[in-house]
Amino acid sequence: MKDEEIDQILNKAAAAAPEPAPELLQHVAESIRPSLQPVHPLAPAWLLSNGLVLVCLAVSLAGALRAGLFGFARMDPFERALIFPALAILLWAAARTFVAEMIPGSLRRIAPPVLLLLTGAALVGLFAFLFHDPATGHFVPVGLVCLGIGLLHAVPAALLSWLVLRRGFATNPVSAGLIAGTLGGLAGVSLLELHCPNFETAHVLVWHTAVVPVAAGLGALTGVLIRMRRLRPEA
Amino acid sequence: MLPRDDGGPLLTARSILHEEAEIDPEGEKTVYPMHSESNLEVLMVRYQQGDFAAATAIVEAFSPQLYRFFAAQSHSRADADDLLQETWLRIHKVRHTYRTGEPALPWFYAIARYVRIDHYRKTIRSTAGARQLEERAITSASLAERPDAANDLEALLAPLSESQREVIEMLKVAGMSLEEVARATSSSVGSVKQKVHRAYKKLRQTMSAAGLRKEPGEPLS
Repeated sequence: MKDEEIDQILNKAAAAAPEPAPELLQHVAESIRPSLQPVHPLAPAWLLSNGLVLVCLAVSLAGALRAGLFGFARMDPFERALIFPALAILLWAAARTFVAEMIPGSLRRIAPPVLLLLTGAALVGLFAFLFHDPATGHFVPVGLVCLGIGLLHAVPAALLSWLVLRRGFATNPVSAGLIAGTLGGLAGVSLLELHCPNFETAHVLVWHTAVVPVAAGLGALTGVLIRMRRLRPEA
Repeated sequence: MLPRDDGGPLLTARSILHEEAEIDPEGEKTVYPMHSESNLEVLMVRYQQGDFAAATAIVEAFSPQLYRFFAAQSHSRADADDLLQETWLRIHKVRHTYRTGEPALPWFYAIARYVRIDHYRKTIRSTAGARQLEERAITSASLAERPDAANDLEALLAPLSESQREVIEMLKVAGMSLEEVARATSSSVGSVKQKVHRAYKKLRQTMSAAGLRKEPGEPLS
């Protein structure tokens, strides 16, 4: 059986499919008439993406200025030249993906879970390449502090990003939550790179990188809760 | 062979309306608002500006296509009616998210798909719904057992998985291009191609087993 034959059978069946009743269409048109006010379309995607990047940079910079730029001061120019542009590129990619998630019918260049994996891999690769201090002093307590600080800034960055895109509509809230968390997580990592002077390889690899997946997980969880709320039967 | 990536290979709202334009009795240039995607986009902009005539034109021209999309997977006409109404209400609520210059069909289908998935999730949450779905699975299990299967889109697509079915509906029934389907389903063009390839493989098997063939002498297109 050829593909053309399958096409023709499907075509024939589609032609025989039922049509909606004219009364139903009339009812639909009338039901939207009372609330048919003019609306402002969403801003262009590039503008929204740039807005998200600026929000995240502002959060991480404000946090780092408040806590001290100790990490930035300890880095050599080569480390600065690699880490911050890489973070900016990842932030931009996450922002583009988040915007696409919040606008139905957008072309998705990369799926949020894939971007999360790539972000994690890129950060691990970059940190492993730049930091070679094998010490692991106070690995867990110091690490938990860094994770906490990172998340403390990731959450507001994600919430502010959500605020920028509040007029959007996520057809998949879990996916949108995941990418919002990834974006916030990257803001948290940016802050840690500016602030944290601990360059022990294990510390940076584990605790700094962990901010992104943890924040993404929290975002996805929020998305699950939003979806459950949407699915709840109306009273 | 994979479907063409040129949009509208089969029966579509676009092609149906185009045929109507060609048989215009006046012989004058007739403007049907839904002839092309660009006209749909113009109407969407007018709809965003609060033009009721544009809103009505979109509802009337696009509803049959949406209805087929729902009917192919709904087990009752009432379900398809509900889904259609719910979709239009949702479209109306988020009409500001449509951006000028972007293709409108994937935007419509992304919202319709969301409404259908949510409806499906709500249905399987209820015991009665689960029972209904079970019954539906039984009734659409075999093409060979259905004498009217060749004219029943739901029965024809029943052997496919949910994601394959929706891709085939958009691509072959609604006549969208691969990129439009990718946009509507939030996936990549490669992933859509793969689903179509697998769906055709399965359809070939089940249709051949059920003895479904085109009528002798019937043209292929």
